Amino acid sequence: MRQINQGARSAASVLCEVKQLIEARDPPLNCFTALTFERAQREAAAIDALRSQGKPLPPLAGVPYAVKNLFDIEGMVTLAGAKLNASNPPATADATVVERMRRAGAVLVGALNMEELAYGFVTENPHYGTTRNPHDHTRGAGGSSGGSAAVVGAGIVPISLGSDTSGSIRVPASLCGVFGLKPTYGRLPRTGTYPFVNSFDHVGPFAGSVLDLASAYDAMQGPDALDPACAQRAPEPICASLSLAAGTRIGILGGWFHEWADPTARRAVQLAAGALGASQWTELKNAEAARAAAYIITGAEGGALHRPRLIERYEEFGPAARARLVAGTLIPASWVVQAQRVRQQAYREAMALFERFDLLIAAAAPVVAPRVGEETLQINDRSIPTKAGLGVLTQPISCIGLPVCTVPIWPGLDRPALHRPGSERELPLGVQLIGAPWREDLCLAAARSLEQAGIAQVRLP
Amino acid sequence: MTESADSLESYVRAALTLQGYRFDETQIAEIVVQFSRLELIAQTILHQPLPFASQAAPVFRP
Repeated sequence: MRQINQGARSAASVLCEVKQLIEARDPPLNCFTALTFERAQREAAAIDALRSQGKPLPPLAGVPYAVKNLFDIEGMVTLAGAKLNASNPPATADATVVERMRRAGAVLVGALNMEELAYGFVTENPHYGTTRNPHDHTRGAGGSSGGSAAVVGAGIVPISLGSDTSGSIRVPASLCGVFGLKPTYGRLPRTGTYPFVNSFDHVGPFAGSVLDLASAYDAMQGPDALDPACAQRAPEPICASLSLAAGTRIGILGGWFHEWADPTARRAVQLAAGALGASQWTELKNAEAARAAAYIITGAEGGALHRPRLIERYEEFGPAARARLVAGTLIPASWVVQAQRVRQQAYREAMALFERFDLLIAAAAPVVAPRVGEETLQINDRSIPTKAGLGVLTQPISCIGLPVCTVPIWPGLDRPALHRPGSERELPLGVQLIGAPWREDLCLAAARSLEQAGIAQVRLP
Repeated sequence: MTESADSLESYVRAALTLQGYRFDETQIAEIVVQFSRLELIAQTILHQPLPFASQAAPVFRP
């Protein structure tokens, strides 16, 4: 990614290569819903003009990236995965983070497929098709930011953007074997993104390396008065300080996070914990309650957002989303208030844990990528619907807004005999590195440490 | 149908009418299934005694 900044390549030549990669690799995966080559050519030309004039280049000069199709792109309709948005007028400006990526020199090549209205953990979109897993096309990419994870996992672009309400960055990052960052709630502005649940919506990057992830994160930081949830904090760049201090106290989350992790997920946690020197187990006792609270608040807010169109245009919603959304609009207010209390309670418990630990680790998904259309997950001795079950380990964490870097682990990593093509062991599974609020630096430093140790790695299919 | 399933369905039907939805029986049946799932998960937290102080107050700045 740094070849342009180092003068080895032009932005135009990189863009040309990305176009070929899209042509060759995207058709079986279905990552893109729209391409923005005209804009990309303008952005690449602007970088090459700076280059030829010998002027300093911005940090992401010429780096190609793509965004989940809920980010506004000037001149394009923001779909948020929903056909009923296709008749909306085009966006009049870029989303704030897209504008910040542009200012950092990145080159936008397209918009990416997602779960309809971001409601679900698989990207089996009834209108725009299924996004498949780059490591096994019979399996799904996860969701709701499935296109964003798959496009990086396939090596088409080094960086993409997605959103995470209950796990929509962490689950697909886990299933597609890429790095993903869900920052602290309120760290990155959501202005110009199609909302789902205002109380939980986060935006963040996916990348093929920790340095790329941190570079994109740094480029997007900073306050934004137009997003009331966005913290009024100056940017805290971390790219230059990605090293984990000796003595960092790391706890392994047991209880709920162990019970709902299958043997492969447990092995992934074990590998990450071993490499980080973590051996102490701990528990977030309110995890199950926090997940329930996330469910109730999501149902109520998500339903309320879409209620007018559910009344008028019910048939235009996909079958998987519409009945769930309507049910959400019927949730009694007292349930929502209780869920908000639970959220606070779980947050306080987590803050007490962070007096003993600097970082917590847990699997990001309970299982490796399920097959497309698989309706039920078997997790240890329990069955759970796939659409809801894939988020069982991420929902309690986003409910309380903690920053998380998901790192791709290959559970067969130290067992070469099991590491044969086509076997289940070849599939990645992500591990969440969870920090206290505003400690993205620690999450990314731990991720970098695992990457340098060869434990966390992105593998091209 | 059990008494609790019956009262849940009655609630869904009444709430749909109150909110202005007009659905056929198949659609109502789908919504009842989805609301039952929400109710099941809500039951895990509804009876947890929690202090008023743990309730987030929406901030209003005129």
